[in-house]
Amino acid sequence: MTCAPLPRCLCVAVFGCLTSLGVCAHSASDAYLTLTLQKPGQSVQSAKTVVHGQWDIALRDLDFVLGLDDNGDGHIVWGELRRHQPQISEYAYRYIHASAAGKDCKIKPMRQMVDYHADGAYAALFFDVECDGAPKGFTIDYQLFFAIDPSHRGILVMHSGDNLATSVLSPENSKIDLDL
Amino acid sequence: MLQQVPAAADPQVRQMRLLRAALDKDQGSLSTAEQLAQVYIDFGRQLGDAHYAGYAEAVLRPWLTQAAPPASALVDYATILQYRHQFAEARAQLKRALAAQPGSGQAWLTLATIDMVQGDYPAATHDCSQVAAGGGFQLGIACVGNLRSYLGQAKQSLVLLGQLQGVGPGSSPTYQAWIEGLLAEVCERLGDWTQAETHYRKALGLVPADNFLQVAYADFLLDRGRPEEVLTLLRDSSQSDTAFLRLALAKAALHSSDAQLYTWIMAARFEALAARGSDYFGREQVRFALYLQHNPQVALDLATRNWQVQRAPWDLRVFLEAADAAHQPHAASPALRFLHETKLEDPVIATLAQRLESQLQDRVGKAP
Repeated sequence: MTCAPLPRCLCVAVFGCLTSLGVCAHSASDAYLTLTLQKPGQSVQSAKTVVHGQWDIALRDLDFVLGLDDNGDGHIVWGELRRHQPQISEYAYRYIHASAAGKDCKIKPMRQMVDYHADGAYAALFFDVECDGAPKGFTIDYQLFFAIDPSHRGILVMHSGDNLATSVLSPENSKIDLDL
Repeated sequence: MLQQVPAAADPQVRQMRLLRAALDKDQGSLSTAEQLAQVYIDFGRQLGDAHYAGYAEAVLRPWLTQAAPPASALVDYATILQYRHQFAEARAQLKRALAAQPGSGQAWLTLATIDMVQGDYPAATHDCSQVAAGGGFQLGIACVGNLRSYLGQAKQSLVLLGQLQGVGPGSSPTYQAWIEGLLAEVCERLGDWTQAETHYRKALGLVPADNFLQVAYADFLLDRGRPEEVLTLLRDSSQSDTAFLRLALAKAALHSSDAQLYTWIMAARFEALAARGSDYFGREQVRFALYLQHNPQVALDLATRNWQVQRAPWDLRVFLEAADAAHQPHAASPALRFLHETKLEDPVIATLAQRLESQLQDRVGKAP
């Protein structure tokens, strides 16, 4: 115990903030979900509506849940990431679902790359959402990381023709209806 | 290398993993959950990484959602909310905790912190007396010692805090670094730069990677015209947004070839924060707008808004700096009033205030 007079020892966390310069630093957890409706005529399967997706998930966040840094040296390198790519896919796609007109749409993982944002490197997961027929809209149900970090946010951008929709996905706003 | 992450050999990372495994085994153990939450909060604070506050919140969630959550879990949660600058929500949790456990020194200390950050010093005075009653004499002295430095009694602060050097709860490095950090700030209030630097160095000698201390010392160095030392100090801390702003300011001060790049990345980070709906970086955003984007009007708007939420000396200072740069001394009137009421000592703030007040008087003199 570092704080004997107290019944517990939370005081250490408060120490740092008990200063005039106690601005707390940030870099919270975000993932970026960009969806683009495939133009009519581009689809090989005309009986389906296809939305292309790119999902950028921070390597820092993935390391916390999956342990990407195999040798524990504090650096994730290409080889380590490559080894974990199937595991990343398997994990991430468990937490995203799509449906249209009451029926599940299929999420088809395509490929995985690396993208960079201002706060670091991200795994970029490319996928297609395939919904039967030509629904007027569909629903995304997003649950990534919420169980382990309620402050995680999914920053969603949807391009549908000339229309652009944006939303911030959170535990309180995890399902979003999007026009097609 | 693609990404830097906490190394497995880090003792705190090891501790986190052990506690996580223990909690997975015994999911109903509040004490294990609180220990883990505490390690997360502390680690995130040191690193300047808000992810860990989220991890801590998730760990406490099963108890927070109970009809009558344990007071200690409410205080933990309030600490997390305070860390995110969600002050009103943090106060609400502390109120619940104190209703259940009126003598919780920890709850009073957290409340004192919030009252000080928001400039409600009469309330903080009361909180500190309760800290002493419930949390022990030494924490009470630390609370009062810190508080007095905002009330024109910085010399008394120095005496009070000086008594805590080398003693205190457990005398852990973290505790001692906290006291040294407070002393450094009090010395800055008094314009004693030599002593301030000695205390900063002592504090960083104890906890070298602490984000708060690093950033505070970086500001000290920037003020003293020593930006090249900021680059060395924060070399490994660029993942923290607050540290990154100081790196960008240092690069700009040095007219480095990559200064523009740093400004651009900082802008992107603020945009990312805005995209997620976060709005608790007022002070940093003011400095960014003022000194890196050279937009005094935007800086003044941000500073005015920030003043509604936070009233620590740096909030006051950036408010005055923005009003001065925007040639709108009247805009800073609330801050100037606050300065006179509280009698805050700070040579940098005093000089700024004097300039703005003489501008205000000139305008009154020139009025028809």
